[in-house]
Amino acid sequence: MRDVVVAGLLALRDYVATHVLTCLVPAFLLAGGIVSFVNREVILEYLGEKRSKLSSFSLASIASFFVAACSCTVIPVASGLYFGGASIGVAFIILWVAPATNILALTYTGSLLGASMALARVVAAIIMAFLVGSTMSLVFQKEHTAPAPSGESQPKGAILEKRSALLLFLVLLSLLLPNYLIRSGPYLHKVILWAVLTVLFAVYAKLTLPPKAIREWLRETLWFVRLIFPLLLLGVFVVGVIGKLLPETWIRAWLGGNSMRSSFLATLIGAISYFATLTEAPFVSTLMKLGMGKGPALALLLTGPGLSLPNWLAIARVFGGKKALVYVTTIVLLGTVVGWFFGNFIFAP
Amino acid sequence: MNIAVFGMGCPKCKATEQNVREACKALGIDAEVTHVADPREFARAGVRMTPAVVVDGTVLFSGKVPTVEELKEALQKLRS
Repeated sequence: MRDVVVAGLLALRDYVATHVLTCLVPAFLLAGGIVSFVNREVILEYLGEKRSKLSSFSLASIASFFVAACSCTVIPVASGLYFGGASIGVAFIILWVAPATNILALTYTGSLLGASMALARVVAAIIMAFLVGSTMSLVFQKEHTAPAPSGESQPKGAILEKRSALLLFLVLLSLLLPNYLIRSGPYLHKVILWAVLTVLFAVYAKLTLPPKAIREWLRETLWFVRLIFPLLLLGVFVVGVIGKLLPETWIRAWLGGNSMRSSFLATLIGAISYFATLTEAPFVSTLMKLGMGKGPALALLLTGPGLSLPNWLAIARVFGGKKALVYVTTIVLLGTVVGWFFGNFIFAP
Repeated sequence: MNIAVFGMGCPKCKATEQNVREACKALGIDAEVTHVADPREFARAGVRMTPAVVVDGTVLFSGKVPTVEELKEALQKLRS
């Protein structure tokens, strides 16, 4: 019993202590900045307009990065779009992409599992988004009764001011550079580079932005910390415990390699169980150390935060059981195939 | 005055509701504060981002948790 608790605490030390300053703090600041500086209302206005499938699906995939970074906001946003007249494909793309690859999840994935896994996560999520969007609009083409949005576009405000765009870019640098420039050597080197970059964007913010905007930015950042950090600590602890309890032979037998079966099992685990935002990355990292293949790892990363049993129920309540069923089935099928494909053809040595 | 807080029960929405009540109390407004959790209602009311505060049909705030000060200022403006 004591072993197990120690394993949990060690996991906390490994995953959180070495990531708080150089990964989580800038990631939270970036997410907070996106929420407070980016005019999401304008993005949603664009999404509600009538346009071709290709352009509306691409727009929805990109917009998801900026619209919601935590799963608690994504259902209202998606349903708001749907009942406000956007196509069903667009609504479900937002529902899928936002939790599967948001800025917080991506940076944490990158720093725990490497840049190639983070990149695979984005690419796979966007490919799946197009397929999910197409499936949903194909199956439920005739059902949509919400008022169609008017075709003409009205003048809209700017999505992002230049000054705040530059600030967000500087925050992004403080997030990426320490982790990608300094790959070896003591952790302190990363911290120093991070501190220099942080001072840089703090000074820039102070000089260019009104105090009210800065306060708002910090307030949004604090919200992310409050909502996500406790769950992350708990999740990482649980991951450490699970890693200790699960026999390695099981993992190798069921999730090892890149077979269709391991990929399917990984997808299923991800689709059913609830992962708080960010916890999927340490979970996958633990399983990979115990022998999980890269393909199944990707499948679990994708479906982990995007789907869970409580989430199915919420989607069913809002959109109806039939749509939830088609959506979940499509995601499980696609996740399996994508995991298998990436495992065998992209990650293959 | 009818004040509706739109949100699906997330912590941000609860904080918003609490701030609304505090602002009303500070201003001495006797308002009926309701919580709308059905996303289908969101679209009908023109709410795109939650949490949102809607006063007598007008969207005052959406997509953030307004502070008590901001709420007081906005409510005061509506009253005058």
